[in-house]
Amino acid sequence: SKRRMKRTAPRSTLRKILKKHKPQLRLAANTDLLACLFYFTFKQECPGVMIVHLNYLLFLRRLAEEARTNAFENKSKIIKPEHIIAAAKVIKHFKY
Amino acid sequence: PLRPLRAKPVPKSSGASRRKTREPEIASSLIKKIFSHYVKMPVARDAFKIVGKCSERYFKQLSSDLETFSNHAGRKTVEMDDLEVLMRRQGLVTDKMPLHVLIERYLPLEYRKLLIPVAVSGNRVIPCK
Repeated sequence: SKRRMKRTAPRSTLRKILKKHKPQLRLAANTDLLACLFYFTFKQECPGVMIVHLNYLLFLRRLAEEARTNAFENKSKIIKPEHIIAAAKVIKHFKY
Repeated sequence: PLRPLRAKPVPKSSGASRRKTREPEIASSLIKKIFSHYVKMPVARDAFKIVGKCSERYFKQLSSDLETFSNHAGRKTVEMDDLEVLMRRQGLVTDKMPLHVLIERYLPLEYRKLLIPVAVSGNRVIPCK
């Protein structure tokens, strides 16, 4: 399917998740040029949330790529839970 | 023949209150959509649950990493720098792959539209500060 994926971020959910894990941690408002651009673009929305969303997208992308590789190696035409479990173990740089 | 009007089923009253107490998490439909987009292959239904579990772990890790980076800089607030350092450590941002390129590539068009002409083109484009 050529339909574009909807990639708008669930911003308040992302905030809530971070707050759940680290209640005292805050995401900064605009601080530098890039942040300022975001601030401008998102009309008062904190740019940090968008970068967290970007990071999450890239995490899922990496997980998907690794899972695909595992499925190919097992000659499976469908992604199974074990392919994802194995993929998660490989993604080191998301959990140094 | 007209059928007798029947009262619509009353929505479960527990729904709203339960929603408030639920743990914050990314909607499974969104996870499914994003993961399917990247994986480009059929995914077993029970495999999506694992993706959800992985997401939870990812966010837990992310939170503590961000705390570590901002604490290291003597702050209680996560700044853009912390996020960029994090992404360098993850190997996502490099000298050849700056953050703004990732933004252009992965964030939705309506966010990129404003960023692309300005973010790359130099010093002073947007009235800032």
